Amino acid sequence: MNSTNDAKELIRILEKSFDIKDFTTPKKNEISIVVEQNNLPTILTYLKDKGWKQLSLITCVDWIKENKFELVYVLFNWSNGTTFVAKTKIERENPEYMSIIDIFPGAKYYERDIHEFFGVKFEGNLDSEKPLFLELWDDKPPMRKDFDPLEYSKRKFPDRKYDVEVSKNAVKDAIKEGEINERT
Amino acid sequence: MKELKLYLGPNHPGMHGNFSVHMYVDGDTIVRARPMPGMLHRGFEKLMERRLWMNNLALIPRICVPEPDTNEMVYAMAIEELTGIEVPEKAHWIRMIILELARIANHLMSLGGIGGPVGLYTGPNWGLADRDLILDIFEEITGARIYHMYIVPGGVRKDLSEEAIEKIKSFLDYLENRLPEYEDLIIKNPLFQRRTKDKLLLPAEVVWELGVTGIGMRSAVGEAYDIRKVDPYARYDQVEFYVPTANYSDGYTRVYFKYLETYQSIKIIRQILEKMPKKGKVWNKISSGSALRWRVPKGQVYTHVESARGEYGYYMVSEGEDKPYRVAVRGASYPQGLLGVEKYLPGTRIDDAALWMDTMGVCPPEIDR
Repeated sequence: MNSTNDAKELIRILEKSFDIKDFTTPKKNEISIVVEQNNLPTILTYLKDKGWKQLSLITCVDWIKENKFELVYVLFNWSNGTTFVAKTKIERENPEYMSIIDIFPGAKYYERDIHEFFGVKFEGNLDSEKPLFLELWDDKPPMRKDFDPLEYSKRKFPDRKYDVEVSKNAVKDAIKEGEINERT
Repeated sequence: MKELKLYLGPNHPGMHGNFSVHMYVDGDTIVRARPMPGMLHRGFEKLMERRLWMNNLALIPRICVPEPDTNEMVYAMAIEELTGIEVPEKAHWIRMIILELARIANHLMSLGGIGGPVGLYTGPNWGLADRDLILDIFEEITGARIYHMYIVPGGVRKDLSEEAIEKIKSFLDYLENRLPEYEDLIIKNPLFQRRTKDKLLLPAEVVWELGVTGIGMRSAVGEAYDIRKVDPYARYDQVEFYVPTANYSDGYTRVYFKYLETYQSIKIIRQILEKMPKKGKVWNKISSGSALRWRVPKGQVYTHVESARGEYGYYMVSEGEDKPYRVAVRGASYPQGLLGVEKYLPGTRIDDAALWMDTMGVCPPEIDR
């Protein structure tokens, strides 16, 4: 699949059975869709049968203003070199979603990863709530936008000095005072 | 029969980087294995959200030390897709030279490094010494040995000098003559063969189950599944090279593939040096004004390249600000480093654990990024 026409054809087939909220081609050989959360596992199963056999990545985006988490599933088809990105949004409060380990067993650790860093629970993945990276973590999941690393550091290591504010303003001051060239 | 709990790592001479495996053993056979990443705690993805687009260039090469340039490439590609900026023709070719040199450096380190866990200590010495010659070339081109910050959004930082090109040519001649010695030392060595032949198997169906890419995948499924071929970036569609494939993925095959792929990278760089435009721009501006004030248009994109260990990708979200809203790194060794360890170490011997990591090319910072 190397043309937008083929991508449109695939989307047309998907649209017949599912409610596709949005469809884009962010770059050559990449299709991106936004779907209802209930439809996503079925779409992933369909795509797997159609050649998107590899799960490249599952990740999460925190849309804090909307109060939503967006789960992003990236699949790759080795026979036609096309990436398929399927996205869905879930509520940010008590976030929970279905596990896809029955479709892609490789999802097991990605889901654990997302649980640890965003707090999303995956129903059906028995290990998804076990700690993986962050031993003895006692704060909110660190990749959430409302997690403040500076506050966390101050609480954990009160004896250290923090120059973050100073360095943040240093760049602005340097530009204002002309110390940094507008070279580029 | 008594079951013991043992730790492999976090620091182990047979492995690259800090990564621990919690093993339950019976005698010297692993019964259960639990991967334990999180020994690095550097939080790259969070750091990236808090730094300017340009500042991140100094951060991302540090994600994977053996082959830092892939990070620069996927990061630059993602920004270029979001901004719609055209990369100058010459920059595409120069980027390929850098990526292939990095690939050779990674393969040399890995090929020699396999000597560590099997007891051939000359291997790591040779591998690192020859890799050092590539670092000399990088120093000539970019001013830095490991973290180059050379592939930037819009092209590369500066053009190649005549001296650098000469240095590359003479290194390629040297390496081509040198590689058969690696074959004699490592590939043909009975000690190495006894430890890796018909061991550490990776069946084809498991490749899909785990999501393994790169050499692990190609040595098992018998197809030339290489992103440089399947979804070419830069100018990989204009160079000829061969991708080794097999239907039997044991430790030996995977290491041998690294050896074969090094020859292919030499072949690619020679073609680039011939085909590359002699003159021309190497960098296009992303936007007017200071690089410290770059704003990347709103959008989401996934870009990927073929690293020495497999598919390496970035999922990037921009909200039109001066910093990325979210960057998710798809480390090439994530599947085999976590699920692979859990599923495929049981049944092997304790001393084969480091060999699995080595032959599968597990790079811990890609997992704990």
